[in-house]
Amino acid sequence: MDNAISFEMLTEEEKYKHFIERIEAKSKIEADDWMPEEYRKTLIKLISMHGISEIMGALPEKEWVPKAPSLKRKLGIMAKVQDEMGHGQLLLRVAEDLMKPYGKNRENIMQDLFTGELKFHNVFHMEAPTWADAGLIGWLVDGAAIITQTNMLDASYGPYARALKRICAEEVFHAQHGESIIMALAEGTAEQRAMVQDSLNRWWEALLMFFGPGDSSTTGTSKQDITIKYHIRTKTNEQLRQDFFTKYIPRVLSLGLKLPDESMRFDDESGKWLYRQPDWSRFKEIIKNKGPKSESRLRLRKISYETNEWVREALSSRSSGM
Amino acid sequence: MKILTPEEAIKNNAYKNALTELLYQLADDDFILSYRGSEWLGLAPHIEEDVAFSSINQDTMGHAAMFYQLLENLGEGKMDGLAHNRPANRWRNACLLEKVNGTGHYLNEPKYDWAFAVCRHYFYTSFKKIRMESLKTSSYQPLADAAVRVSIELFYHQLHWKTWFQQLMLAGGEAKTRMEKAIQTVCNDFGGVLGLGSLGESMVTFSLIDSEETIKNRWNCLMESIFEGVSSSLPETLGSMNGDGRNGVHTQDLEAALKTLSEVYQLDPTATW
Amino acid sequence: MAGEGFYQEYEVFSRRSDTSPMQYQFSLLAPNAELALVMAQENFLRRESASDIWVVKRSNIRKMTLDEKESLQRLDNKEYRNTKGYGYLKKKWRQYEQGMLDEKEIMSWGGKQSDENPHS
Repeated sequence: MDNAISFEMLTEEEKYKHFIERIEAKSKIEADDWMPEEYRKTLIKLISMHGISEIMGALPEKEWVPKAPSLKRKLGIMAKVQDEMGHGQLLLRVAEDLMKPYGKNRENIMQDLFTGELKFHNVFHMEAPTWADAGLIGWLVDGAAIITQTNMLDASYGPYARALKRICAEEVFHAQHGESIIMALAEGTAEQRAMVQDSLNRWWEALLMFFGPGDSSTTGTSKQDITIKYHIRTKTNEQLRQDFFTKYIPRVLSLGLKLPDESMRFDDESGKWLYRQPDWSRFKEIIKNKGPKSESRLRLRKISYETNEWVREALSSRSSGM
Repeated sequence: MKILTPEEAIKNNAYKNALTELLYQLADDDFILSYRGSEWLGLAPHIEEDVAFSSINQDTMGHAAMFYQLLENLGEGKMDGLAHNRPANRWRNACLLEKVNGTGHYLNEPKYDWAFAVCRHYFYTSFKKIRMESLKTSSYQPLADAAVRVSIELFYHQLHWKTWFQQLMLAGGEAKTRMEKAIQTVCNDFGGVLGLGSLGESMVTFSLIDSEETIKNRWNCLMESIFEGVSSSLPETLGSMNGDGRNGVHTQDLEAALKTLSEVYQLDPTATW
Repeated sequence: MAGEGFYQEYEVFSRRSDTSPMQYQFSLLAPNAELALVMAQENFLRRESASDIWVVKRSNIRKMTLDEKESLQRLDNKEYRNTKGYGYLKKKWRQYEQGMLDEKEIMSWGGKQSDENPHS
């Protein structure tokens, strides 16, 4: 275009100002639009981690796919894990488009995962040793995910907001799938009920950690301020954790389950749930791939990647069309 | 002759025996292969393909559930019990379909073979399509109805596996070598897939399904045209190298699979899960 | 054969039913159009029906730049293009004791014959 005042001719500062005006006015930023480096990098980090977490998150539940105790449960959990892979697909596509200017693609994402450069969510480093875990992941881990993801439905980055819209719609099914498993167990035999309680006890700390540290003083770093500044999300980690408590604690109790934190209570004065902090130093270790299942799950992904290399190789050299 | 209801089918013992035997073959084939497919979940060569493959496995397990339901209606027991509580020698699936995906376990060093997955699924889907066509005119009306429904989803399965099969065959090099090896592995046991077992003649006499020979010829015809398109040819002999699954002879692979499949169910078969 | 790599970008479009318009779904990676097509429905339409699907290689799409998007703006002074500019007719027809054949009325005409059968 031969506009006298083309956008391309603006100085970096003017472009930045224009960008901020756009996000303040709630208009959506698209993949090919100009964006500040910090915004792009924050998005890449956030979305590639979100995407790869979905892919890695398929693995703990996948353990239970063949073992699910009925045909209906087998089909349900298969569809659920499939969705996780599908969500990974959507999110990685969004991240890949953001990385394109750096000459990176999915290959790099996988390599970054294997080298430990790209982290995945703390909950997916944990063990899932019983069938109740399959239910609990759907009910509470996906419940927590719904809280964080709906918080970003209006994100300033259009492709992410659109992917999240698809994802959240499917998460509703995931939550109900999880609830259905948990409810059957909670209403079942003494052994089944004990299985759910045991699962809740084991997942409790990971669920508290799910939302990340309250502020940067806890672990030294926090991206939450930047994401709020750029209208990617609106609430802080602690607000999200509180929302989670408000929605789920009454439900947990209504099923006759005991909270693993006996000191936990709702404080009327501050309007907040008071709870025992998890061990945040452990959180830091876990996301450094030093959780109980970090190595073995990465190994699964790596084996699949390497064993199938020949397939990608074979079709890379074919030109399009039959 | 048309048998419209399970009550009617049960009246003639010989008919009922042939029918249930056939239904076990249909249900067990789909169930065990969808299980093998589901082990691939999260491990396919490509994320987009992982998602697509899982849909096929869900469809296939859904078909198995339809056939187990028909068995339940004939008084064979609850469908979940049929799928989770039968010793290996009562299973009627072909041995090819119970074969492991590769070396390793789905949770430990799963070195799965995509060429084998493509060939096994593609050959089986082609066969299943022909088998369902034949069942559409089955004397047992509930089975004929099920065949009509199942066939609807096979169009996609067929298109999906055909695309992968053709592309990997035409890719040449290492891919072609791997594919040819996989084709041989599948053919070594494909005779077992085409078989109808010891009650086969009775099934044909009662017009439950076309004969082994007829189905085999139709399948051969279909495969020949596919192989022509990729400048290759189908191996001459189709065997039952790993056992006669239609008559309850199975491999260690099935034993191990059944243990995994029923692990939670067996914690308490009377509980509601 | 000069390969372009396994990870090619394809945009996926679908039509919910024969009468619905093509709608954009999402993008996926595939080594070629055939594989893109066999993966499209299950990746984006697992819970929706579709009567047709298109996959388009992204590099074949000419997109707008930020500057070009400015060219999409226009003034709100084109009543003459819309029924809005002819709204007064309703009143006029009333004087002639006739109803207005507005959009709602006209769009409802298709296939209504049997309903409006005067003999019924």
